[in-house]
Amino acid sequence: MDSTASQTGDLRRVVQANEVIKKVIRISSGVNLVALNAMLIAKRSGERSRGFAVVSSELRVFSRKLEGAMTGLGALIFELVRDAAAMRKQLHERHHLFNIPAREQQMREIMEPVLARMDERMHKTRGQIGRDWHKLRLQLNRVLQLCETGGSLARSAKIEAVYGGDMSATLKQVANQIEETVNEIFSTLKLLRTQLAE
Amino acid sequence: MKKLEFIYEDGHHKWAVVARDLEKPGFLIDTNEYLVVNGSEALLADPGGMEIFSAVFSAISAEVDPCTIRHLFASHQDPDVISSLALWLDFNPDLKCYLSWLWGSFIPHFGGTAETFVSIPDEGMDISLGGLTLEAVPAHYLHSSGNFNLYDRKAKILFSGDVGAALLPSGEDGLFVENFDRHIRHAQGFHRRWMGSNAAKLNWCERVSRLDIDMLCPQHGAIYRGEDVKRFIDWFAALDVGSAIKE
Repeated sequence: MDSTASQTGDLRRVVQANEVIKKVIRISSGVNLVALNAMLIAKRSGERSRGFAVVSSELRVFSRKLEGAMTGLGALIFELVRDAAAMRKQLHERHHLFNIPAREQQMREIMEPVLARMDERMHKTRGQIGRDWHKLRLQLNRVLQLCETGGSLARSAKIEAVYGGDMSATLKQVANQIEETVNEIFSTLKLLRTQLAE
Repeated sequence: MKKLEFIYEDGHHKWAVVARDLEKPGFLIDTNEYLVVNGSEALLADPGGMEIFSAVFSAISAEVDPCTIRHLFASHQDPDVISSLALWLDFNPDLKCYLSWLWGSFIPHFGGTAETFVSIPDEGMDISLGGLTLEAVPAHYLHSSGNFNLYDRKAKILFSGDVGAALLPSGEDGLFVENFDRHIRHAQGFHRRWMGSNAAKLNWCERVSRLDIDMLCPQHGAIYRGEDVKRFIDWFAALDVGSAIKE
C-alpha cells in the first residue's frame, strides 16, 4: 500500500494534523498585532529608528501574507478532514457489503457489480484525498518559506533596534516577540511536515 | 456547508451548534447537532445521520478536537438523530452513547456493542461531563415513545430534540428565532403531526416551564432565546397535537 493509500483510511492521522495546523493558525493571528505595534513604536521614535521603521513596515506586509497563507492552510485541512471522513463512511459501507456470504455463483454475480461500483466510488474519494494531501504539503512548504522570510525580518529588526536610542529596549522587545512567534510556527510546521512524510 | 458556532461560553464550559447546511440535498431533512464542551471532555447531542457524517465531523474538527468527544446523546431512535453512530465509533470505539432504555436493542442496528450504550430510565438521569452535571429530561411521546431532552442547569440551555422544531423554507436560515410569530408558522404543522399525545405535551410543558431556560435548542430549525422560550412553551401547551391527518 503506498503512503497516500495508507493515509486515506486514517482519519485520526488527519485529525492530528488538523489540530497542529489549528494551533499554528492561533499563534500566527498574534503576528499581525505585534507587527502593527512595531510600526507604531517606530513612528513614535521618529528619526532615531528610521531603519526599524522600514523593517517594521516589511513585517506588516509579511504578517498579512502569513494571514493569507494560514487561511489557505485552514481551508485545505478542512477539505482533507471532510474527505477523510467521507472515506470512513464508504469503507464502512463496503465492509458490510463485503461480509455478505457469496458462496453461490448467483449471489456472487449479484454482489460483484455492487462491490465494483463501490470500489469505483472509493477510488475517486481516495484520489481526492491524495490531491488534498498534495495541496496541503505544497501550502505547508509555502508557509515554511514565508516563515524563513519572517525570521530574517525579525533578525533585521533586532539589529535596527540597537540604533533606536532610548527606544532601543522597546524596539528590541517587539523584534524578539516577532522572532519567537515566527520560530514557534516554523518549528511546529517543520515537525508536522516530517511527521506527514513518515 | 455545515459550520460550528458557539452559542454559550463560560470559560471551559461551552455549547456549540453545528447548524444548517445550505448545500445539502433537498431530500434530506436539515438537522442541528449540539456539542457540549466542559474542559477536555465533550458530549455530542443527536450526532446526526450517516449521510451527513463527513459534514458534521469536519465542521466540529474546524473548532474542537473531535478526540475530546467521549459521549453521544441520542434524544430518540430516528436515523437523522443517530444513524452515524457506527462512524463515530469507528473513530473512537470507547465512546459511550446515552439513550432511552426503550431503544437499547434497536439502535445497535446502527452500530455499537453492549459496552457502547448507557440506558436512560424513563424518569431520566444525570449525565456527568467532566464534573458538569447534565440532566436527561423525559419528553416521552414527543414525538418518540422513548424520548429525552438534555438540560444544562448552569448554562440554562435545554436541548429539546424534536420539540420546538421548525421546517424552515430556504432563505430563513438564521441561527436564532428573530420573529416568533413568523417563525412559529413553520413549526405548527410539524408539531401537530409528529407530536402524538396532548397529555404528554401538557406534562412536558408543566415540567419544562419550571426550569430556568435561556435557550431552547431544537434538532431542526432555529433556536428560541429569552422571552421566546416561554412564548414557545405557551404556544405548544395550547396546540392540539396528534391532529394533522387530512380527512
